[in-house]
Amino acid sequence: MLRLPKFEVEKPTTVDETVALLSEKTGDVMIIAGGTDLMPNMKHELFTPKKLVSLAGVSALFGIREEAGALVIGAMTPLDQVANHPLVAERAPALAQAAGLVAGPQLRRMGTLGGNVMLDTRCQWYNQTYFWRKSLGFCLKKDGSACHVIEGGSKCVAAASNDTAPALMSLDAKLTFANADGQRELLLDDLWKSDGIFNKKVPPSDLLTEIRLPQREVKHLGAYGKLRDRGSIDFPLFGVAVRIDIDANDVVVDAEAVSVALQARPTRIRKFGESLVGTTLGSPEFEKGVQAAASLGHKQCRPMPNVPGDHEYRHAMVPVYLKRTILAAAAGAGPVHAV
Amino acid sequence: MSARDNHGTAPPWGDEFQVIGKRHRKVDGLAKATGQAVYTDDIALPGMLHAKTLRSPHAHARILSIDTTRAEALPGVHAVITGASMPIKYGVIPWTPDENALATDRVRFIGDEVAAVAAVDEDTANAAIELIDVEYEPLYSYTDPNESLERHDPAIHEGNKHGNVSKHVELEFGDVEGALDGADVVVENDFFFHGSTHTAIEPHCAVAQWSQDTSAEGLLTVWSSTQISHYVHRALARVLELPETRIRVIQPNLGGAFGGKSDPFSLEFCVAKLSMLTGRPVKMLWTREEIFYAHRGRHPMHMHYRSGATSDGKLVGSDAKILIDGGSYSSFGLVTTYYSGQLLTGPVDIPNYRFNSTRVFTNKPPCGPKRGHGSVQPRFAFEIQLDELACALDIDPIDFRRKNWQGEHTKTVNGQRITSNGFMTCLDEAERESQWKERRGKLADGRGLGVAGSMYISGTNYPIYPNDMPQAGIQIKVDRSGLVTIFTGGNDIGQGSNSVVAYLVAEELGVEVADVRVVAADTDLCPVDLGAYSSRVTFMVGNAAIDAARKLRKQVVESVAKHWEIAEAGIRMGGGVVLDLADAERTMGVREAFQLAEADHDTLGSTGSYNTPELGGDYRGGTIGASPAYSFTAHVAEVTVDRETGRITCDEVWVAHDCGRALNPMLVAGQMEGSVYMGVAEALLEEHDVNRFGLHSGPSLLDYRIPTTLDTPKINSLIVESVDPEGPYGAKEAGEGPLHSVIPAISNAVYDAVGIRLRHLPFTPAKVLRALAELESDQTVEQS
Amino acid sequence: MRVLELKINGDRVEVAAPDHWTLLEVLRYRLGLTGSKQGCDKGDCGACTVLVDGKPELSCLKLAALSEGAEITTIEGLLPLHLQAGGTGPDPVQDAFDRCGALQCGFCQPGMMLSARALLNECHSPSQAEIKKALSGNLCRCTGYTQIIEAVELAIAERVGAKNS
Repeated sequence: MLRLPKFEVEKPTTVDETVALLSEKTGDVMIIAGGTDLMPNMKHELFTPKKLVSLAGVSALFGIREEAGALVIGAMTPLDQVANHPLVAERAPALAQAAGLVAGPQLRRMGTLGGNVMLDTRCQWYNQTYFWRKSLGFCLKKDGSACHVIEGGSKCVAAASNDTAPALMSLDAKLTFANADGQRELLLDDLWKSDGIFNKKVPPSDLLTEIRLPQREVKHLGAYGKLRDRGSIDFPLFGVAVRIDIDANDVVVDAEAVSVALQARPTRIRKFGESLVGTTLGSPEFEKGVQAAASLGHKQCRPMPNVPGDHEYRHAMVPVYLKRTILAAAAGAGPVHAV
Repeated sequence: MSARDNHGTAPPWGDEFQVIGKRHRKVDGLAKATGQAVYTDDIALPGMLHAKTLRSPHAHARILSIDTTRAEALPGVHAVITGASMPIKYGVIPWTPDENALATDRVRFIGDEVAAVAAVDEDTANAAIELIDVEYEPLYSYTDPNESLERHDPAIHEGNKHGNVSKHVELEFGDVEGALDGADVVVENDFFFHGSTHTAIEPHCAVAQWSQDTSAEGLLTVWSSTQISHYVHRALARVLELPETRIRVIQPNLGGAFGGKSDPFSLEFCVAKLSMLTGRPVKMLWTREEIFYAHRGRHPMHMHYRSGATSDGKLVGSDAKILIDGGSYSSFGLVTTYYSGQLLTGPVDIPNYRFNSTRVFTNKPPCGPKRGHGSVQPRFAFEIQLDELACALDIDPIDFRRKNWQGEHTKTVNGQRITSNGFMTCLDEAERESQWKERRGKLADGRGLGVAGSMYISGTNYPIYPNDMPQAGIQIKVDRSGLVTIFTGGNDIGQGSNSVVAYLVAEELGVEVADVRVVAADTDLCPVDLGAYSSRVTFMVGNAAIDAARKLRKQVVESVAKHWEIAEAGIRMGGGVVLDLADAERTMGVREAFQLAEADHDTLGSTGSYNTPELGGDYRGGTIGASPAYSFTAHVAEVTVDRETGRITCDEVWVAHDCGRALNPMLVAGQMEGSVYMGVAEALLEEHDVNRFGLHSGPSLLDYRIPTTLDTPKINSLIVESVDPEGPYGAKEAGEGPLHSVIPAISNAVYDAVGIRLRHLPFTPAKVLRALAELESDQTVEQS
Repeated sequence: MRVLELKINGDRVEVAAPDHWTLLEVLRYRLGLTGSKQGCDKGDCGACTVLVDGKPELSCLKLAALSEGAEITTIEGLLPLHLQAGGTGPDPVQDAFDRCGALQCGFCQPGMMLSARALLNECHSPSQAEIKKALSGNLCRCTGYTQIIEAVELAIAERVGAKNS
């Protein structure tokens, strides 16, 4: 059996205790939430911390609640709860859909929303065993100096592969982090940096405690589209979340689309809303706008051969999935995926 | 064929079968359901050490030196072995022994085994592996089989007379050129069948325990997740230089195989050697990654086919040229090379046929036998060509196959004897159940139906190593308790072979299936059987079981007849009860009947065996592919092609399979469904390959994508029973045949759906989109 | 190394295990509960599925050190728990799997049956689509899933039949 490297586990019960443990020795200490990403990565020796700090006993990090109009989800809330919670379905359909398409049933039960947000980036040259990576001569992201995605590349382009991140970004989610200095709130958009080695601006020793979806002034529709080979288990080969704000007459007043699994960070499709704003759902203008928005996505999204699969095909699927996801959102349907 | 082998197809008692043909639980089903069934990795022996393998990071290299000093010095390490510990080469085919348990002087693919360590636990063994220092001289490595065909320096196997060519076979039957010259339509295309692998969910595992007994050599017991204990037994004796009497091989419950556990593997030799060196039991459990390196999966084949027919719809000939990518070792490759040509000659008659097949070595994980060994690939190409010919001649593709059916009790063009042949019924069933006539050509855009057919062997008369002994043997013990115990060397790999012998013996002896125990796949306890491959078990072991049971039945009936003072013909046995046909009041339990027999005949026991009759064409290689009976299959596949995404969804499959007689229709259906699932997966999802560095492109169950519940079509199993004159009660195989033609059926359905011919596997959405774009541009050109 | 107190199949058991051992390793190699299988090493196949507080989780990705406090059910627990609950013989899911031929090699099935058991505990009569979704994290290589789905449907039908009669 593929073994885990040796480490010790700490089981704090409060945020303060957790934060104190995390500040001990940076690098040698890591957070374990659901463990569904960390455990395989540790079996691959991508991480070899001496100590794991488990959040499983920190009760303050669990649960979904409304707070002053905002929807607040504890970082340790399992993905299957996010996917099936009536409040999430009502207030954030794209998020419910995305959470429901992460991996398979057991992993959605174990994996957490916070864990999915903080997911390590993925690459076909990286998510492999130590033996495999050693035979390759390692790579830029871990233990090596060469990039095998872009020959001669000096910047890691491992792909953000978290299904929920684009959904959360489309809803302007804010994250609360705790560390020894206290708490701070951050717009999810501001979490990311375009570096596949570690694509977050917040250090790994900071603890994500909750995810906050602000109250929206206007009614919105949302959906998530996920390209993958199988109907279950797989990470996204391309993912896109769409939000369409409408007025009482079904006229689009704003729209956003956020993509994932292309590059190191989830990215907003720029000027996406412009093609749709002002059109009425279902009208010929709207349909035209959908086409224009899809083409825009095709121009902006440039998949690289970082995750498995034919990257040119992934590129060709950007407008198709974008279009289908917009139409699903408009119809109050979704998610868009192959099965 | 000797008389002992043919027991007829009739029920042994009266006009009806009592056990056979009905749904029964498997003999080991509830043990598996409750978690009690013991698989190899479930074995834990006192003081057991754990072993790990050091593997080559190079695709092709010479080993200059290996230094194990640092590893040996690590506390907790008990032994370190290298190729020097076991220098004798082996190979499952005795003519091509080119493998070493651990590399002696050269490594041939990334993942090739170099050294092994036994230590107190897995972590220590893993740490020790990292402390072995190996100096390599990298050599030029081959990934393209075309290159291996042309370039022989360096040779992957030094000393091979044919450079990097592993095997070449050229056979012609009839006059192919003449026939094709006279054809009204000829189709000619290139095809590619990609590599795929078995991915049984149970990882390979072996445990060895060496014990000092009264002999000088001691006794070595090896528990292994093998599907052929007998060949493991032979190979261990050869490599370890031990008499076969000093080795006992036991196959515990096996978690799937599909051909992937047919070869003797490095881990079996390593645990054995390490146990002998340390005097401790040793276990080695491979990781999922290591199983991808062990591979022995489907050979990639580059195929060129040319087939012709006359305008009245008669196939006149087919010509095949095939380049087979064998990977780094021979494995079953000699057989694969023959099978790539030999197994195509039914159920459609090919009056003139030629094939030219070459297997080459490349620096990739070794290929071998995967479900439908050697013949799934050519079947794919040929059945698409049949579809093309039918289209060109404007004949319904099912009718085209009917017109060219070879018939039953006949001979193929390459001299193989065909007995029962239910292919026409298969076509009828698949046609009717899929509503082919009503629906084909009338489905919405993007949806289509396709058909294809195939045949497969029920065992082969080629026993891997030449000998005149039985291919299958059975022993039965019956005693005064009423219990029947069957000893079989056959390997139950999940297909239910232990259950099948229990059903057959229960039928013959008139006992309840629950009162039959099966002891299997233990070389100390069971008679020799050649194992679970080539779809031989039901046919051969089944015949041996009937053979043994019938001898016992005779003794029991004789004793009861004597006791009741009636004629033997007046006795019926069934369900654990013996009846006097003339006197409904007179019955006795089988327990009592067995006691009468035991008193009359002394301790009760019998043996039975099976060997094939003389078969095969009268030419070199003519016996390879010769089977005592062939199964036949027809598939209709229904697909939906998404023109925007290029994604093919196989919605539903109708599989009609002639299994001779369904001994337990539930198990037959399970084999058919599993076969279809695996074929659909090969067509649409799976690909076993290496990347540009020669590294496996994704050795995990995340990246090698086998279908989930959500990716598997609705499968309709249509069992056809032709009742074979030589099968056990008429049975033939059901475990491999039903895979073959689903793949071309999907390709043909895609043509029906959107007008593109997919000749290169797998049918990825990207390929579909390219083909659709080409079709559109062709049509634009035609219109302009 | 620490001494863990685990609740397994209704028993409280104390077991010493290093922190880096998974629940699967402790079940199989410390407690001898080898019914939970290991197929892929890292959460891709579902063979190691156990029930944690009634819900299917992967024991190969769950640390034993983080499994205290929860009720863990393994395949070995189903039949005894069924007997305790007043039933006879195996759990109806196990029985249906056997009767439908769903157990070929049987290696993936402990995990598969536990996923099915969890679904049936949660939902009285799930649809075929719900069954497929609930089992979509358990890979089977033998059956093509057909007889597995038939088995779950049989268990549901018999439960519904028993309720109605």
